[in-house]
Amino acid sequence: MQTRWDIGEPEKPTINIETEQLKSELLTLNMGPQHPATHGVLRIEIWTDSEIVAHAIPHLGYLHRCMEKHSENLDFRGVIPFVDRLDYLASMSMEWTYVAAVEKMLGTEVPRRAELLRILTAELQRIGSHLMAFGTYALDLGAFSPFLYAFEEREKILRLFEEVSGARLLYNYIWVGGVWNDWTTEQLSRVSTFCDTMEEEAKKYHELVSLNKIFVQRTANVGVYSLQDCLDYGASGPVLRGSGLNWDLRKNVPYSLYPEFDFDVPVGTGELGQVGDCWNRYYVRMREVVESIKIIRQVLTKLEPGPVMGKVPKIIKLPKGEIYLRHECPRGELAFHLVSEGDAKQPYRLKVKSPCFTHVSMLPRVAPGQMIADFVATVGSIDIVLGEVDR
Amino acid sequence: MSTAVQDTNSFKEYFRGLFNGISTTVKGMWITFRYVWAVKPVSIEYPEVREVLPERARMRLFNDAQNCISCTQCAMACPVDCIYIASEKLPEGTEIKKTSNGQAIRLKLTQFTIDTALCCYCGLCTTVCPTECLTHSHDYEFSQYTIDGMKYDYLAADVIAWRDRIVKA
Amino acid sequence: MLNIDVIKVAELINRHVAGANAVAFLPEDTKKLDGSVTVEASKIFSVVEFLKTNSELPFNSLHVISGVDYLDHMEVCYMLTHYDPASPRDLILKVQLTDRVSPALDSIVRLFAAANFQEREVYDMFGIRFNNHPDLRRILCPDDWQGWPLRKDYVAQKDYNGMAVYPDSKMNFDDREFIVRQDMIKKAQQAKAQ
Repeated sequence: MQTRWDIGEPEKPTINIETEQLKSELLTLNMGPQHPATHGVLRIEIWTDSEIVAHAIPHLGYLHRCMEKHSENLDFRGVIPFVDRLDYLASMSMEWTYVAAVEKMLGTEVPRRAELLRILTAELQRIGSHLMAFGTYALDLGAFSPFLYAFEEREKILRLFEEVSGARLLYNYIWVGGVWNDWTTEQLSRVSTFCDTMEEEAKKYHELVSLNKIFVQRTANVGVYSLQDCLDYGASGPVLRGSGLNWDLRKNVPYSLYPEFDFDVPVGTGELGQVGDCWNRYYVRMREVVESIKIIRQVLTKLEPGPVMGKVPKIIKLPKGEIYLRHECPRGELAFHLVSEGDAKQPYRLKVKSPCFTHVSMLPRVAPGQMIADFVATVGSIDIVLGEVDR
Repeated sequence: MSTAVQDTNSFKEYFRGLFNGISTTVKGMWITFRYVWAVKPVSIEYPEVREVLPERARMRLFNDAQNCISCTQCAMACPVDCIYIASEKLPEGTEIKKTSNGQAIRLKLTQFTIDTALCCYCGLCTTVCPTECLTHSHDYEFSQYTIDGMKYDYLAADVIAWRDRIVKA
Repeated sequence: MLNIDVIKVAELINRHVAGANAVAFLPEDTKKLDGSVTVEASKIFSVVEFLKTNSELPFNSLHVISGVDYLDHMEVCYMLTHYDPASPRDLILKVQLTDRVSPALDSIVRLFAAANFQEREVYDMFGIRFNNHPDLRRILCPDDWQGWPLRKDYVAQKDYNGMAVYPDSKMNFDDREFIVRQDMIKKAQQAKAQ
């Protein structure tokens, strides 16, 4: 059986040259908890040899809000606002996953319009989340203006969500049985114009950042995860696709109404650099934005008037049993392990499988031998949200 | 940075890389430079100019105490338990009033306090309210000096006096 | 849970891993609920190793390790998955632990690197020790925190490093009084109904 050197804390090596009485040892450097490049409150203890990282140890828990314990004392509807706060950049996708788990156990039928609106919001949210990833990634690597351009577009999505749900980030919009509010025709037409501008903007982003020589030099061939690494660590989403596996739950294990939609799954091909490096992960995300636009356009043509809320009992009680349900979220596969003691109003146990938690555990794998600046690029490219890591 | 090493292997590659670097940088600079005159600013100067909030915006909660029937459904639905309601029986013989949508008020509301510091603005309480007296107002500027100041008593005279300012138009 | 016949998996495990004692659980309503396979706790390493390396029903990735506390026993659920566009599948593999004082399991970090953080989390939340784990520390709570938060009988410690946990000055007593009052109302209503 192979033993892997990258798991666990190795002995701190000290080199002692007796003849010249020189002592050299590794310098311990704390990246975070307050550090702009860690996207939240992640603390990474780095042992460096001058500019080269020898070992990186992530320390989690700075944003631990006991969400799983809390949810054991809340009714099934009351958990939704807490689920929002997991990945606060993609709340709609988080809600949908949780609600889908409850609905499956409850056996609720969701009206077709509500299901389409869920796909619409989830895909808009995916664009918004990827725009944020794009903006902050460019910011990490020293380019400031892409951040502002990305926010300008993201703002349009947030404004739409605010009009339809009432909040900008933590929506509580997708409910058990359907969605809270219906979209008006005027809002839907704005979505369609947004799709047109977003397509133009995506081209601009590619010219500005993706193909820029400096950006490519910073990201290509940096932080390479082989496909075997990704499978070993259980990675998913753009990280897995960036490493070259054509795997998307929406396509491979279609849920909801996704089988009706025609879209491609972008996979890292190593056009610049090699498969599995930072540039390919980044580029998969940017191409996913275009695919999401395709899906949204199809939703707009399919939408027909109808109810947006199915029949749900006033007090939700789930049968005794458990469920493990996965959905494809912007950052990877989110899953809920929901255990219910029969006839209870609260979940007995709600375990969140968060993609970011998995991806953070992959950081020590590539860190040794990297420059510190490259390590920052790697952390940015896996696109973590600490709300989801610490829960 | 292994790409840089590969590029310098031959003169041709070196100059191609140099040209690529300059041309992509100029292209990027051109996109940024266009914003000087061709694109209108999208930001607003906040305290002077205010964005019009959408109709459904969920800001500070407001309870219209005259229409409240003390059913405590909002307090039950609240996931963070930030609504405190107390009520007592009406003394016998008092005339039973009706709310604006015709429900009888059978209990006397003695306390209706919302701890805004705890509130997570999820909107679950407003959806269960049978008389629609508990609503989200459009007031989002309510900073206080102490945390106790965030507890709003909706039976207090001053909050009722503020009603015109904070309730939705 | 996708495309998996838990009875077949249990048979496979029983045939190839001696003493695994795999029992398949299939719920009545398979549309709503997921089935699972429960195996002997001491054999978890060899079972996962078999599931990873066999040719009939391989699983190439570990998604998550989740613990559930049922008070009379604790369960550790391994969500195994197969990333393969041709035949995707996943499986809930369970072990049961009756020892609440010092529960222990064999670590599977040598099989799936994903188990490193996941086992640390289970240790942090349920106090289940994993033998042969390279770095078994708490992950989300502070290193010197006492107690296992996600156990059902957990009571938060009063004092942490000289700091009061839930100090009176930071507590919202209105909230607590309100909950007590609500309980009284509920009891009164129930008494009335009876």
